[in-house]
Amino acid sequence: MESRETTTTTERSETDTILRIKNLHTYFFTVVGVAKALNGVNLDVPAGKVLGIVGESGCGKSVTALSAMRLVVEPGRIVEGTITLNQIRKQGNGYKVMDEVDITSLDPRGPKIRSLRGSEIAMIFQEPMTSLNPSYTVGNQIMEAVQLHQKVSKVEARDRAIDILRRVELPNAEAVVDRYPHQLSGGMRQRAMIAMALSCTPSLLIADEPTTALDVTTEAEILDLMRELQADMGMTIVFITHNLGVVAQMCDEVAVMYLGRVVEQAPVDDIFYNPMHPYTRALLQSIPRVRVREKKRLEPIRGVVPDPYSNISGCPFHDRCSDFMPGVCEVNVPAMVTVPGDPQHAVRCFLHSDATEGENGR
Amino acid sequence: MTNGQSQDNNILEVKDLKTHYPIRKGLLRRVTGYVKAVDGVNFTLRKGDTLGLVGESGCGKTTTGRTIVRLLEPTAGSMRFNDPNLGWVNLDQMSRRELAPVRRNMQMIFQDPFSSLNPRLTVKRIVAEPLIINKVASGSELDDRVAELLRVVGMRPEYMSRYPHAFSGGQRQRLGIARALALNPRLIICDEPVSALDVSIQAQVLNLLEDLQTDFDLTYIFIAHDLSVVEHITNRMAVMYVGKLVELAPTGELYDSPLHPYSEALMAALPIPDPRVRERPIRLPGEVANPANPPSGCYFHPRCRYAQDICAQEEPELRELQPDHWSACHFSEDLSLRGVLGSHATN
Repeated sequence: MESRETTTTTERSETDTILRIKNLHTYFFTVVGVAKALNGVNLDVPAGKVLGIVGESGCGKSVTALSAMRLVVEPGRIVEGTITLNQIRKQGNGYKVMDEVDITSLDPRGPKIRSLRGSEIAMIFQEPMTSLNPSYTVGNQIMEAVQLHQKVSKVEARDRAIDILRRVELPNAEAVVDRYPHQLSGGMRQRAMIAMALSCTPSLLIADEPTTALDVTTEAEILDLMRELQADMGMTIVFITHNLGVVAQMCDEVAVMYLGRVVEQAPVDDIFYNPMHPYTRALLQSIPRVRVREKKRLEPIRGVVPDPYSNISGCPFHDRCSDFMPGVCEVNVPAMVTVPGDPQHAVRCFLHSDATEGENGR
Repeated sequence: MTNGQSQDNNILEVKDLKTHYPIRKGLLRRVTGYVKAVDGVNFTLRKGDTLGLVGESGCGKTTTGRTIVRLLEPTAGSMRFNDPNLGWVNLDQMSRRELAPVRRNMQMIFQDPFSSLNPRLTVKRIVAEPLIINKVASGSELDDRVAELLRVVGMRPEYMSRYPHAFSGGQRQRLGIARALALNPRLIICDEPVSALDVSIQAQVLNLLEDLQTDFDLTYIFIAHDLSVVEHITNRMAVMYVGKLVELAPTGELYDSPLHPYSEALMAALPIPDPRVRERPIRLPGEVANPANPPSGCYFHPRCRYAQDICAQEEPELRELQPDHWSACHFSEDLSLRGVLGSHATN
């Protein structure tokens, strides 16, 4: 077990990364073949920001999150790559790295990862009913998390639970604390789950489609709440969604995933106003825009997302790409390269750089 | 709405439609109450319209759709349909036998392309089923018709002998559409047809529905919760809240200048795919009313930020306040509500 005290104290700028994923490969070894869910994910999660991960179903958004939590279960396995968690504390305007943990090297059932889960990295899921235990009260579940990570008495833990339920704006928190999940509405359950995730003030919150199952009015309220809590607590959020509207409203930075790889990462404004990867552009053109002057026909992306068992040569998007360059795109896999003059914008496409994977890319 | 006068350019008139589900309790399964899923819905549908039906889950959108095709029995009210062969018929008063020829002209497309296709039947059998039941075609004629339908929805006729599991979600939804088109219907009720699909596939299916509408002179009722999709595809919209229509208007007007406070909150909640347009949502206190025990007066009043005393006492009627723009609020004339882009509307 790694010691938590080995501090490498270096001063960093505000755009520091809390989680760095490098060349991550997570495969699922099934009877019908190997599903390469993640095929070399490179991702920097900036501290104190909301990073959105977008992409269509099957692109590896959720597996990325589960890998970071070390919750990938058999027959899935991380086969290559590293995930580094920087345990950082805010110091003045910047961050101070207290400790660096290589999550990929930990035993997924060991004490180290269990001490990190909940207290350092927490996760909320799409369907609150499946992640809350139906046979315990909401309060008991929050108290369990609190008591697991902190030495507090039962009474204190209960007060803490009521406090955090109030924090997520559940009306009548003193009563809700003794309710069972089935006694709450969908929106209230999602708030309860957020409360549970935040109970140990994690520095990184991974939210996997937290509002997809909710009605639009409830969704807007939950998003508003999450932004508010994020600002108050200075926490980092990784927000997984397929809804580009939610991304635009919620995120500071965006990573676009396609077939197990991040193909573009940039500040949210760049993603919407200066998208560089053909897939990002295609995604943006395929969604209906509200109240634009001219009603344009939607431009669907041709073809479908290939299944993860397939082995596509070269760039995985080449057969659906409108900018396909024969002799280039189907031969090599492009590397993730930072856009010249824009250090925060990285893209994985031969239109912008000749670098192939494994060479001088990041 | 046309003051009760049936016009030939209308296709459907729904008046005071109510669908209540009984709540049964105890050993004797006695009826102890009713869930008023649809509780007084009024609208008129013109030929060629795409009417969007929106609202939160449980507001009665789907029940309304299913009642219109009589998959559910209405509790009260009338539904009149302009059948191309029979003229105006009262759907609510017809027996199953009488209904059969009318139903050819009213079809449904369902949300979940995985559960709406029988996994044990081939594509040919699925698409041909309406043709077989209605004895429209048989033998090689049937094959030709199925092949044609598949081509119409952008699928290869060679797929005819495959089973649904061999297809992706988008392709299955195309099969569902082919089946709905088989009998050349006039009205198609699309119940969340793209909600289960990825965005790129969603665009394909929406384009297909638009093309088919032009090619086959279809009228759609489009039930959905995604307001950007509804804005894209519909020309008129009806907003439902706890079983009632609260607003009915041309789509653009509803998004730009809603007249009902609930529509305003709904519009403000829409996540706009533009990071430069960020608005705080309007918070609705409390929860959606229980349709088994709705509040007095206006069902929305406990959550409405403009509510006054009268709202708890008197139920507002759906009134035409501007041409073709109806709202059920006592104060629609006095309020100046914000549209979907809020303060950014001028851009």
